Amino acid sequence: MSGTETTLIQRAQKGDHDAFAALVEEHQRYIFNLALRVVKDENEALDLAQETFVRAWTALPNFKGQSQFRTWLYRIVTNLCYNRLSNLRRSLNDLGDDMLENIPETDSPFDNPAHEFESNETRGYLHRAIEGLDENYRLLITLRYQNELSYEEIASTLNLPLGTVKTGIFRAKAQLRNALAALEDSWITA
Amino acid sequence: MDNRLTPEQERALIEDALKNYPLAPMPRSITVNVMARIQKEVHPAFITWNDFALSIVIAVCIGALFFTMQSLPPIMVAKIRIQGILLYQDILVNVRWLVPAVLFGLAAFFFALTIPFLQRELK
Repeated sequence: MSGTETTLIQRAQKGDHDAFAALVEEHQRYIFNLALRVVKDENEALDLAQETFVRAWTALPNFKGQSQFRTWLYRIVTNLCYNRLSNLRRSLNDLGDDMLENIPETDSPFDNPAHEFESNETRGYLHRAIEGLDENYRLLITLRYQNELSYEEIASTLNLPLGTVKTGIFRAKAQLRNALAALEDSWITA
Repeated sequence: MDNRLTPEQERALIEDALKNYPLAPMPRSITVNVMARIQKEVHPAFITWNDFALSIVIAVCIGALFFTMQSLPPIMVAKIRIQGILLYQDILVNVRWLVPAVLFGLAAFFFALTIPFLQRELK
């Protein structure tokens, strides 16, 4: 949390509306995107983002700075998503925590620039595959890769065991690997 | 593409797609709406109009009861007193059953409060 943000939070806690407006301006895009990835409806995501900040304002005196402000906001929006999608909480709990290994996170997909075009095409295909994942996987993937939270932060935000978070992300990636294999098959048969 | 991708290439492609998954643009800023909703929020006063209305109704009821008792014929007041004494005696006779029943009810109530926590733990 930057010094400026800490100051803004402290001012907002004392009732400064301008400071809170600055915080809303700063975080709204990430909150909206998280809601959008889960509910897949732009208007509903806007409603959820708005409700998140109204609730944050009400609960702001209780924010002690033990977690990051953005993580705290993610927790609020996630709880609102749970209320909106009754199966989301259950589907996350049902993931279990049998898979504790991570898929190693590598850097560049291809060293050869000649593959750049294919890589871009594949990336677009995979983005569509991500959108087709179940809502629980989309939530985990968005928190990990768009909101750049660590596994521990995701576990704390969603109030889930660390193993469950890792399992969920592992399975989401496995589904993406299957999608990629299907794309490869189409290349070979073409 | 002639050959199948190696597992490393697959992983790298997936990681690349995940890391470059774009943020959707905001259709419109929500700051104004949020601030409008926040400014409408007024902190509740210690005594609200509902509290005033309720206290007036209670005061009127007590007053009505008092004036009714004053205007009742003395024989009626005596009968009410007798019924009151009989009711009190009845409670005294049954109190040995009432106390354990209330305690059991309280124990069941406090146990019921722990059910949501136990459900979470058992999941």
